[in-house]
This record gives sequence, structure tokens and C-alpha cells, in this order.
Amino acid sequence: MTLETEVQSLRQVPMFREVDPARLKLLAFTSERVHFAAGQRFFDQGDAADAAYLLLEGEAAVTLDGPQGAIQVAVLGDNALVGEMGILADQPRSATVTAVGPTTALRIDRRVFLELLSQFPQIAIAVMRELAHRLELTNQQLAQTRAR
Amino acid sequence: MSAVDGNDRDRGRDDGRGSRDGDAEARDAQGGLDRSLFRYVWRHSKRDQIMICAVVLASLPLYFASLDLPRRIVNEAIQGHAFEKGNPTTSFLVLRLHLPDMLGGDKAVFDGFDVDRFGLLFGLSVLFLLLVLVNGAFKYWINVAKGTLGERMLRRLRFQLFSLILRFPPEALRQTKSSELATIVRDEVEPVGGFIGDAFILPAHLGTQAATAMTFILLQNVWLGLMAAGVVGVQFVVIPRMRRELLRLGRQRQLASRRLAGRVGEVVDGIEAVHSNGTEAWERAEIGHRLFHLFDLRLRIYQRKFMVKFLNNLLAQMTPFLFYCIGGYFALKGQLSIGQLVAVIAAYRDLPPPLKELIDWDQQRLDVQVKYEQVLQQFLPERLRPTRTEGCDGALLGPLALEEVGVREPAGPVLEGVSLAVALPTRLAIVSDGTPSASALARVVAHRLAPTGGRVTVAGRDLSDWSSSSLARRIAYASVEPVLFPGSLRDNIVYGLNRPPPGGQAASRDAEEQRRIGEARRTGNPLDGLGDGWVDYVRAGQPDEAALDRAILDWLRRIGMGDEVYRFGLLGQVDPDRHPDLAARVIEARAGLRASLARSGRDHLVEPFDVARYNRQATVAENLLFGVPTSPAFIGRALAEHPVVRAVLDRCDLTDSLVLMGEQIASTMLEIFRGLPTGHPLFEQFSFLSADELPEYEAILARRTAVEASVARHRGSRLSKARRRLMGLERYGSADATRLIALPLAYIEPRHRLGLIDDDFRARIVEARGLLHGTLEATDEGGVDFYDSEAVCVAAPLRDNLLFGRINQSVADAAGAVTAAITETVEELDLADAIARVGLDHQVGPSGRLLSGPQRAAVSLVRALIRRPDLLVLDGALSPMGENRAKAVLGLLLERSGDERSLVVVLPSERAAGLFDVVWRAQGTRISVQAPEAGGTGAPETPGPDDRGEPGDGAGAGRGAAALSGDAMTEPGDGRAARPVLAGPPGNDA
Repeated sequence: MTLETEVQSLRQVPMFREVDPARLKLLAFTSERVHFAAGQRFFDQGDAADAAYLLLEGEAAVTLDGPQGAIQVAVLGDNALVGEMGILADQPRSATVTAVGPTTALRIDRRVFLELLSQFPQIAIAVMRELAHRLELTNQQLAQTRAR
Repeated sequence: MSAVDGNDRDRGRDDGRGSRDGDAEARDAQGGLDRSLFRYVWRHSKRDQIMICAVVLASLPLYFASLDLPRRIVNEAIQGHAFEKGNPTTSFLVLRLHLPDMLGGDKAVFDGFDVDRFGLLFGLSVLFLLLVLVNGAFKYWINVAKGTLGERMLRRLRFQLFSLILRFPPEALRQTKSSELATIVRDEVEPVGGFIGDAFILPAHLGTQAATAMTFILLQNVWLGLMAAGVVGVQFVVIPRMRRELLRLGRQRQLASRRLAGRVGEVVDGIEAVHSNGTEAWERAEIGHRLFHLFDLRLRIYQRKFMVKFLNNLLAQMTPFLFYCIGGYFALKGQLSIGQLVAVIAAYRDLPPPLKELIDWDQQRLDVQVKYEQVLQQFLPERLRPTRTEGCDGALLGPLALEEVGVREPAGPVLEGVSLAVALPTRLAIVSDGTPSASALARVVAHRLAPTGGRVTVAGRDLSDWSSSSLARRIAYASVEPVLFPGSLRDNIVYGLNRPPPGGQAASRDAEEQRRIGEARRTGNPLDGLGDGWVDYVRAGQPDEAALDRAILDWLRRIGMGDEVYRFGLLGQVDPDRHPDLAARVIEARAGLRASLARSGRDHLVEPFDVARYNRQATVAENLLFGVPTSPAFIGRALAEHPVVRAVLDRCDLTDSLVLMGEQIASTMLEIFRGLPTGHPLFEQFSFLSADELPEYEAILARRTAVEASVARHRGSRLSKARRRLMGLERYGSADATRLIALPLAYIEPRHRLGLIDDDFRARIVEARGLLHGTLEATDEGGVDFYDSEAVCVAAPLRDNLLFGRINQSVADAAGAVTAAITETVEELDLADAIARVGLDHQVGPSGRLLSGPQRAAVSLVRALIRRPDLLVLDGALSPMGENRAKAVLGLLLERSGDERSLVVVLPSERAAGLFDVVWRAQGTRISVQAPEAGGTGAPETPGPDDRGEPGDGAGAGRGAAALSGDAMTEPGDGRAARPVLAGPPGNDA
């Protein structure tokens, strides 16, 4: 796997779909590819958010600590981006993410990511668009829930 | 300090040596440099000066003989006067001893050889050559002796100036810039030193030489002699005068032209006013006037300058004319032989150069004297502190009393009429009210500041009764601005333990060392070498270096710098000579670490170095060298230029691959970093190229594209290929290729992921590694410290030596896990102390800039503590450490003082005052005494840190702990954390 395949993976992420390939290459180049063993934590709920991860191979489970112990809320697969909300909002991790099997991910450092956002408005707009999209989706879901 | 101390001590020790220079040295000790440069030179170098002058005098007869020989050659050999009576031969080299008659009159020592005319000619000529050689040898010796003498005097002068600088009180240094003093010692005395060698000898040498030549001419013919003397007189009197006038005019012109520039500037700046007042005409007239003045000056300079030239030329040409004309007249009349005439002309040729040098010497003398006096102005004795004083050496115990002490600074009084007393040993707090008075009082007590009025006594004796060395030893003072010198942590901490080595230099049998000492004696420099023995272990209460290191580490840990020193140690290099035990155990620890990683199934975290395998986590350069470069020729771009490396790359067929890789890296970097502003942090952190190299590589790639396009157009013909090759139009020029090869040397496939490295490449690199290793070993050049699994790689940091491999960066959180594993192994093998000792070798940089503020403060504090002073004065020394640590350290210090040793601390606020036995409060320029409220001088209960330097639990009941938990040392912060932290840097508890 080389930088090129990572760029392909990044292009699958809705947030980066519109971004110039050369910029995605820079994002990939300034990120690290890391391997997680089965069961190894990406991060724990409450940790400081220092990076986002793009899953390249394998699966990761998202769990929330509840009063009755951990509840698994989702399992993420290839080309999923996780932890990006934490680095944008500069808030502690809202969930724990654990590798299900041996997993490879692209670790996007928070500082580098913010540096890229401030340097290239194109990326910043793409991120905003994605966030606005999600907000709209949440609003719709809320409206549906209320309507019931 | 120590250098001067050493000097003084040696004077004491050398008393038995006789007081040959006793007075002079005593005057030196007063700091005196003579008012006159010549007196100074004479006082310190009369023996050498006299000796060289004696040699000069001894050389004169030979010089005279070399002047006389041409006459004999012409008269006796060429004209044949020696053979006048028809003798076919004559005697050559007749040596006669002229003795007074009562000793037997003349005595022939050697009757000489019988030679014919040719024999005589060649014999005399050879004799002449010999004399030339001998005279040259004399000149050589005199010049070397002069140079040596000048350099010795320069050394003495510089050393004296430096000694005087050490005696400058801090107040005086506030007015003088340190760089100015440094410039004086370095630059300004340099010409003085150069002149000193010439001061007496040059006039003696050249003067007597000129006089000899003059005498010779006079002896041949009085008239010719008088004529030459007249010409010389004109040269000697008129020309220097005109030259002096020239210099004066030159200076005037410089001033005038500087003023002109200033005036033009003024007009330009004030052009508004000129326009609005309509004064262009006046300004024009004004500038015109200045220009005339400049012109006039230059004209007068020309007139004099060329007059000097004219006179010089005239005299140079006139004299031979007179000699030929008048000398020829005498020769024709038979009053002068041809030989004499030739000799006179030759002798006259020798006259002007020495005279010119004499004139130069005179000018230099004026110059240098002014410089010397200027230097002297900076070192007036009244500005200096007295030299070491003798006195008693009693412990500072008993009542410490201040009687009517006052301190006055230019801005006004700082302390007035302070009369206080306290019994030592004690723990005394001086609470500041924001004015400088508390700090001034602390400095007065610490003997750092001499009060302008009143006196300080201990046990009834004035503090100045103690010898200065005793006070320096018994009092330690640490201020808010620690002064660190470049060197290691250890050097800085033991700085206060330095004292001249006992035993002295007599034991040394080394010839070079004896020579150094001899020179030091001749120049009034300290005799002590810089080697071992300067550290006073006894004063630190330690038997040897290892124990002292342990004590230092103990203090550093208590003050909370233990972890940092350990980390410095891991990043430091292990010198097998200094740490032989550790070097041996590193190999053991290396194996232990590997085993421990394997045991816990974490051996994939580190890829070990293996001479037969490519290490995927290391750069291409590292894989190629398989070692750590120790010479810059093997680092970075230089490696790509190294001829041996390039030859090996060629042999292993790697050059083309590397160029190709470089091309791909360059084009990728150009693609992805385009659009980032230059100097952007992402560049520095990630790019293979620095921002300013981008255009360069862009140009390289552009050149390649052009060449390829041209190849495509003229495809085919073998002829055009050969032509391109001849014209250097291969795909890349060799310089471009080198630049490209430099790029992949830093490449690591798992990190950079450009997909450039395959197994074949790896195999070839490993092959090249072996070849390079062999070639470098064979040439025995060094430059690379190769990895060896059974030996310590001295050039690599200790941490790398323990790992002996590279951390696998593609495993999540590998670095953290490996660090934990290292700590485990280190603890298992009990190496932490040894590693921390390596950490003491950590370099602090100029003024300690490589350390953080708290680290500098800790070093400065331990420097004071390790000396075990009777009286420790802290004047804001804890404040850089931050609130929590300062509290903890204060508690520690309080606990350790009061029984034998006294502690004086300047506190910024009341909060911690309750912990002290005695509290003085500054109020403006007054100090008031107040006993602690709850009346006891008993030991306050402070959180007691245990021996390992772990944090006390802070739960200690009572007033002490309560006060400690307040914001003792700094202004109110967020008020959290009542936990004194002893181990660990500040902020770790956040």
C-alpha cells in the first residue's frame, strides 16, 4: 500500500470528495499509517482528542461507557473516518474506539489537520459542507422523532 | 576567579624563589599597569630586551665586514692590488690576534692559504656569501626573538586585563558593556603586543645598522660621509614632518566629508522647509562652500604627498649622482680607490630602508601609546575591588549584627540606617515589599554588595576580617537569574567547588607541560594546568567523583529534576573511558530489553539492527552506513558527494536507482507542497526539501524534461547520442544527479509510503553496506561509528544503544510501549543511576540556553547546596521553578538548615514567613523585625520528603504545612493543589 491507495481511500470519505487530489496527497503524506492489533484501543472515551483516523483495512468498534457497562453503538469498516468531530470541536473523546481485528488506519494529526484547514480554504469549505450536511440530517431525524 | 586565585597562590608559594621581580609582581597584584607603555615594557621584559640588543651589537662587526668585503673584492682581486709587486700568489684568510705588546704583540693564528688572482676572487666572494648568510641568520634569530617577546608581553597584558576584569564590581560592569571589555582584551591590545617586541629593539637594531653603514662610509671618505649624512638628515627631519602634516590633513578631510554627507542628509530630510522658505540658493551656496573646502584640503594633500614623493625620489637619485660625480673625482685624484667607491655606493643602498622603518616605528609609537592609554582608562584601580584579602577562616556562627547599614544607589537610597541582629545558625526570611531593599539586604548579608555605610559583624568581628576565599566558601548566594557557563550540567554544578589543585605542577615530568609552566612563569600567568584536581571533594563532603555525582543526583532528584536528568542520560552518549561499567552493562541491557520485549510478545515493536538485513524502519543512508556518522562528510548531502560512497554505489548499481528515487521524491514534493507559503511549519516538519530548495529541484526536473524532449526529437542516431554525451547532455549532469541522490538517503518506506523500495533494492543496499564498510576500514579514515551487536556505538545516544534497532513506527503507540519497556529493563538491571550520571554530561549551551528556566534555577541551587555553605542566601532563586515546586523545595531547605547551617530567603509575600525562625520585613528603605506570631523558634513542621525524593504526603498537621500549602513563593495563582511536588517537573500534576 502506498500513498496513492491512501489518497484513493481519502477520496471515498464524503468530507474530502471534492478536495483537490494534490491536497489529499499532502494530507496523506503528513499523516501516519499505523497498525492496531485486535482489541487495541484507538482511543478511550474522555481522552484528549489529538488525531482523527481513517480506516484503511479492518474494522473498529465504537462503544459508549454506560451505567450498565460499555454499549457498542457501531462498527466501522473500510474508508470510515473516526474522531474528526473531536479534533474539530477540541473536546474530549465522546466514545471509545477499539480495533475488532488487526486493523490499519491513517492517523491524521490534529495540529497538522488544522494547519491544512487554515492554509487551504478548499478543504475548510469541504469540511463545513459535510458538517452542515450532518446537521441537516440530525434536524430531520429530530423532526421525525418529534412528529411521532 | 580560580585562575586569579591560582596566580596569587603561586606568588605565595614562590616566595622562596627570591624576590627578583618582587616589587613588580606586588604592583601587578595591585592591578597596576604602568602609566607609560615603555615603563611597562621595560619592567617586564628588560632581560629579554637587553639580551636581544646584545645579539644585535654582536652582529654589527659582521655586518661591517660584509660592507667592507666588496672593497677588497674590487681592489685586491679584480684590480689585482694584492699582486702588485709581481707576486703570482698571495695569502688568503690570514688570521692575526692583536694583543698588547706586553703579551707579545701580534700573533699569527693562521698564515692563510697561498692563492692566485682567481683563487682570491672566488675565496673573497665565497666569504661574502658566507657573511650574507650569517647576517641573514642573525636577522632571523632577532626577528623570532622579537616576535616571541612581543607575544609573551601580549599574553601578560591580556592576562592582567582579564584579572582586572574579574575584580570589577558588578556596579562598574553595569556602565561598561561586556562586549567592549572583550574587544579590548581581544583586539585593541593586539597592536600594542605587536609593538612591544619592537619597542626597544627596532630602534637599537636599525639605528646601529644605519650608524654602522654611516661609519663605514665616513671611514672611506669623510666628504662622501658628510654628504650621505646630510641627505639622511634631510630624510629624517623633513619627511616625517611632512608626513605628519599629511595625516592631519587626511583626518580633516575625513571629518569634512563626513560633515558634507551629514549636511546633504539634513537638507534631504528637511527639503520641505527648504522649499517653503525658498532657500535653495542659500543651500546651494553652503554646499558649494563645503565642496571648495574639500577641494582645497585634497589639493593641499596632493601637494604635500607628491612633494614627499618627489623629495624621496630626488634624494634617492641625487645621492648616487653625487657619489659617482664627487666619488669619481676623488678616485681619479687617487684619494679614493675604486673598491672604496663601489663599497660606499653599496653601503649607501643599505641606508634608506632602515631609516624608513625607523620613521614608521616612530609613528607606530605615537599610535600605540594613545591606544595603551585608552585601554588604561578602562581599568583605573579606583573602580576595582581589592584583591584577595587575607584574614580569619572561622565558621559563620554566633550573632550576626548589622550596624547602621545603608545602601545608596545612583537613583537614591535603597537601605538606610538598618540595625538588626540575629543569632546564627538560623532560618531567616526577609519579606519584600516590592522595593529592591529586601534583595539589597540579602546581598549585603551575602557579602555580594558592600554597604555604603555601617558595618556587618558576625560574633563581634567585622565581616571583612574574614579572608575573601573563606567568605566565598562559607557563603552561597543564588539569585533569580542563574548564571550558567557553557559546559555540562556537572561542570556547572561543581563550578563552586573549583579551587587550584593541591600538590601543584612540580610532579609533572612531561616536557610539554614543563614548557607550558616555564612560559607561564615568564608571563605572570597561572602555573596550574587545566587537568584534573580542581574539584574540592572535601568541601562537598564526598570522597571521590562517583560519590559527588551521587550527591548531585540526590539533590537534583529532591529538587524535582531527576526525571529530566535521566532523560538527558538516555539521549546522551556513553564514553567508554569515563563510564566503563555502564558501557559493559549496556550490552547486557540490550539483550535484556530484547528478551523482555520477546517475552511479552512485543518484539515486533522494534526492528533490530542486523548487518545482513535491511532495516525497514531506518533511512536509506543509515542502512547504507550501518553506523552513526561522526564526521560531517557522511551526513546529509555531503554523503551523496562522498567519493568513496559514490564509488560503492556505482559498483552495486545503485546510482541510477537512487537518482530515479530522488526524481520521484522531488516531483512528489513539488506536487504536494506547492501552494504552501515558504517557511510554513509543515514544510520544516515533513518535506524532504527545505522551502528554498524547491526552485532548485524544480529547475533540475525542468532540465531533465528539456533533455528528454531533445532526445525524442533526435531519436535514433548513434552520432547524436555520442554528441549529447560529449556535451554533457545526459539525462542529468553530475551535479544534478548528486542533488537527486541526496533526497532518497533520508527515505523510510513505512513512513513516507511512496512505494520506492523493493526487495532487490534492499539486497543491493546490504551488499553496498558490506563494500563500504570494507573500503572505509581499509582506508582507516574513520568518520563512521559502525553498529556492532556486541559493542557500544559511542556516537549513538544511550537510548539507541539500548534499543539497537529502530522503533516500528507503523505500530500504534509503539514509542510509548518501548519507552516503558526500556524503563522496566533499566530498573531491573539497576542502571538508572548510571544513566543519570551520563545525563550530568548534558551540555547546557551558552548561558544555559539549552535548559528550561526551572532547570537553570535547579542547577544554580544545587551548585550552591553542594558546597555546603555556612550561610545560604536565596534571593528569588526559587521563583523560576513555579509555585508548587518552589514550595516543596523551600520545605526541603528549611528542614535541612537551622542546626549548623543558616538559610536566608527573600520572600515575595508573607505567606511562607511563618515557617522561619526569624522574619525581617522590608518597608521602603527600612527593615523591621518581627518574631513569628506563634512565638516559637522551634522547628516548623514541614512536609518531610523521604530519602528517595518522593513527594511528601503533604498532610503534615500544623502551621507549617498550612502555610506551605498557600502560595508561598509566587503571586496568587489558581490556588489549587496543596501537594508539594518534589519529583517531576512542574505542571506534571496538572
